[in-house]
Amino acid sequence: MTFTGLIGRICMFPLRAIISACVALKIHPNILTFVGVLINVAAAFELANAHFIRAGGIMVIANIFDFIDGKVAVELGEVSKFGGFWDSVIDRFSDIALFVGLIYLYSHLGRTDYVMVTSLAMMFSIMTSYARARAESLIAKCKVGFMERPERIVLFMIGAFTNRMAGVLWVILVLSIFTVADRVIHTYRELRDPQREVLA
Amino acid sequence: MKNPATLPGRILWNAFFWTFERATWQYDVMVIAILAFVWLVPPDWLKDPTAHGTGPIGWLLSRIR
Repeated sequence: MTFTGLIGRICMFPLRAIISACVALKIHPNILTFVGVLINVAAAFELANAHFIRAGGIMVIANIFDFIDGKVAVELGEVSKFGGFWDSVIDRFSDIALFVGLIYLYSHLGRTDYVMVTSLAMMFSIMTSYARARAESLIAKCKVGFMERPERIVLFMIGAFTNRMAGVLWVILVLSIFTVADRVIHTYRELRDPQREVLA
Repeated sequence: MKNPATLPGRILWNAFFWTFERATWQYDVMVIAILAFVWLVPPDWLKDPTAHGTGPIGWLLSRIR
């Protein structure tokens, strides 16, 4: 059992209870997704006002909704193509909201250097998702690169709870650049040699 | 593209051109490295707009000096 696997298992205990409650109440997964983004906007508002601890707490609640919507959809038998599309679009909105909150804060503090760091981190985070979505319209799978959405969200929470947002933004920026590069290179290699995909 | 021949080169290559799943030992190592960077690097070094101080590394360096 790995350290991160253990943390995942521990977190699943309360989440299972929340999923069961949502299934019992027959809450539609698309509504859960939408509630999640609304709560994330509240977190962005708190980030913009430099209330990091409060923002971190709100992010935890928002991302519970974000995490359980897919599981509730499976258990209620409400899995649909539109649900997947809706979830992806709303996820991008949630991502951008958090970054915009920080951009507002840093511009208010007169820190153009961190406005740039945050803007670039936002740009490459969106590119990470876009690169995979576009690649998977051409090849079977493009799940390479470290910095995906769950990693980003957990890093945001760590940055908020421990007031280390600058370090978190640098990590997100650098690893997102490599993730995008990784996906471009992977897609290029797969398309250049389609046999590789068949063999894999 | 081929992996670099030297061990440090291979480690960096695998860290940046990531292909491992979550909950593997490689993922654990990467998470620990990221947390070490976030928590140990002094906010002053990064010119953090909302946090100040030299952090654990700064404290350690001041002790050594």
